[in-house]
Amino acid sequence: MQFNFSPEEEKLCNEVHAFLQKEITQQVIDETYVLGAAYGGPEARKIIKKIGEKGWVCPTWTSEYGGIQSSEMVRFRILDDMSYMDLPCAFVGAHMAGPTILRFGSEELKREFLPPIARGEVEYALGYTEPQAGSDMVSLEIRAEDRGDHFILNGQKMFNTHTHIADYHWLATRTNTDAPKHRGISLMIVDLKTPGITIRPMITMGSWQTNEVFYDDVKVPKNNLVGELNRGFYYIMVALDFERMLPVGRYRHLFDRLVEYVKESYLDGKPLADNQIIRQKLANIAIELEAAHLLYYQLAYMLDKGEVPSYQASMQKLFATEAGQHLTNVGMQIMGFYGQLQQDSKLSQLEGRMEWYYRSAIVETIFAGTSEIQRNIIALRGLGLPAR
Amino acid sequence: MHYGLNEQQEMIKRTARDFLTVECPGAFVKQMVKDEKGYSLELWDKMASMGWMGLVIPEQYGGAGATFLDLTVLLEEMGRACLPGPFFSTIVLGGMSILEAGNDLQKREFLPRIAAGKLILTLALAEPHTGYSAESIHTEAIDEGNSFIISGTKFFVPDAHVADNIICVAKSSGQITLFLVDAKNSSISKTLLKTIAGDKQCEAVFNKLRTPKASILGKEGQGNSYLRQILLRAAVAKSAEMVGASQRVLEMTVDYVKQRVQFGQPVGAFQAVQHHCANMMTYVDTSKYLTYKAAWMLSEGLFCTKEVAMAKAWTSDAYRKVTLLGHQCIGGVGYMEDHDLPLYSKRAKADEIAFGDADFHRDIIAQELLV
Repeated sequence: MQFNFSPEEEKLCNEVHAFLQKEITQQVIDETYVLGAAYGGPEARKIIKKIGEKGWVCPTWTSEYGGIQSSEMVRFRILDDMSYMDLPCAFVGAHMAGPTILRFGSEELKREFLPPIARGEVEYALGYTEPQAGSDMVSLEIRAEDRGDHFILNGQKMFNTHTHIADYHWLATRTNTDAPKHRGISLMIVDLKTPGITIRPMITMGSWQTNEVFYDDVKVPKNNLVGELNRGFYYIMVALDFERMLPVGRYRHLFDRLVEYVKESYLDGKPLADNQIIRQKLANIAIELEAAHLLYYQLAYMLDKGEVPSYQASMQKLFATEAGQHLTNVGMQIMGFYGQLQQDSKLSQLEGRMEWYYRSAIVETIFAGTSEIQRNIIALRGLGLPAR
Repeated sequence: MHYGLNEQQEMIKRTARDFLTVECPGAFVKQMVKDEKGYSLELWDKMASMGWMGLVIPEQYGGAGATFLDLTVLLEEMGRACLPGPFFSTIVLGGMSILEAGNDLQKREFLPRIAAGKLILTLALAEPHTGYSAESIHTEAIDEGNSFIISGTKFFVPDAHVADNIICVAKSSGQITLFLVDAKNSSISKTLLKTIAGDKQCEAVFNKLRTPKASILGKEGQGNSYLRQILLRAAVAKSAEMVGASQRVLEMTVDYVKQRVQFGQPVGAFQAVQHHCANMMTYVDTSKYLTYKAAWMLSEGLFCTKEVAMAKAWTSDAYRKVTLLGHQCIGGVGYMEDHDLPLYSKRAKADEIAFGDADFHRDIIAQELLV
């Protein structure tokens, strides 16, 4: 048991941190908080390309694919630091699609798709969910018909965030309607510029945009199939575990700002910092964020040992997102009247972040697997409890 | 960051697990709840020959010279078995305090005997209307030249009735001083309190106890600084016991729900039960990492007031909740006295209170955040 980083790890992570500090602009921050780009927009992309050049976007990969062969511990730390800086840090390409391609893709697929991901040149969007297939993902229906050297895709996706900005769609399709549902799914990489794709925005209450995506006779080359035909479900299960490893830096940052607010504020002539109820609430949030932090790095420890987190990733996502809800709820309570003010309002405090995060936190216990699904996974995979 | 145990710690864990599974079944714990002394001499001697009492005592005093982190691993296993007896008092409150504050003479006099399992020690701090702060205590030590006369009432002293020596927190000339006194002296009258968990906590009344000057532990008037460290260690050590205990409750629960059939299937197949179990597992894992981080920091000599408070606050609430969820899942058989679970759910309340409950520690965290 040891809860610090080695001097070499510290040195590298500090270097990345210092670099990013110089690159952040208000524009980048505004892309997320004002323009609603959940995974960042064009300004963020510029920064990602710069760190991609240094091999810091996919640092654990070999230099052949654009990494620096770092440990997962370093990767997790870099992401956590980026999260604390309010930078977008959840990249479908680098963190979900990339690791899946690395594990299951053919050599050609890896050589074609991994280096641009690592260089930060391209972005991906997840394509799992459909109107009738949310938690019940295997009920997806978008049809990919085999036409020799390509597939023809017809169907609809929903809640596909970032498709309006991304270069590629990480798409789960049905390639076999005769087999049991989970054995008829194939995973493919679709160029979002392909004719026949229509994207319609859906605005979440978190103020960020997700999308409906319609596929009308869209042609996808067979080359873009990830792994084997009809094995997509199993690859997606792995990709989902990676999606669920959530850095909580942004919540720690918000909490730190809340603490500063409490230190400086008064209510009815009394310092908020002396209020016992506020003290208890703040302390509890601090504990939860610390626990989420420890659960997060435990995943890196497992990955570096060659183990694949399963229930642990679900537990971390569950805990971190619920902690986020507690933080934003308590934060708004502590801020009183001011908690409800939005960024561009007169009198707003903390740039209106508390109410922004309160709204987006509601979404977080639903996306990437609802809290209920995560609890099912912990029970089934973590404790071996029987399925119904 | 490293989340695994080293080889020595793995061995401590394994041997403790095997030993206590045999030597400390639920029936034994229940027996000790009823027993006045609260421990068995036979088991105590066996533990001593396992080297447990000497684990963190330096080799020069007959111990193994292991770290506080190593002790944490052992305490986790003891908590898992709901081990009754004065090990915690003797080592965490007694031995480690002497190690920290004692002079050479005291260390040579006490530590080897503690390591050999020949002495039982404890700490007397709380009084009527006081908790874990020594500021408001009334127990007084009057300087009489070669000795002190100690008078006062101490409450909730663990294992005072079986202790050989008590570290008494008193005020001498208005300053807090620790005195390592003879517990068997007739000037101390001990009354065993009846508690929810049947753990042996006592009232200890000091009625003009005469104790030599040499019994001052550490420097006169410096008691608070030693007490701070003692309480940090005690809070983490107690959290470690709770981590082990909550893990056992989870296992007990999972075993039960896998085989208890209602409505044609194991109740573990129902989502309400699954979600209770998932919540229990989350409490167990988060408690474990918070506790081990605090234990590591203490072991490394790092400043960790906040982290210790986080571990104790969270684990206190988490362990209690795990026992209550366990009860919900195990149902009727689980609330019967002949089941093992009530041992844990009652002990959870005792452990919660010991060395500061969640509210107490959350205030410490707030202090660290807001100052």
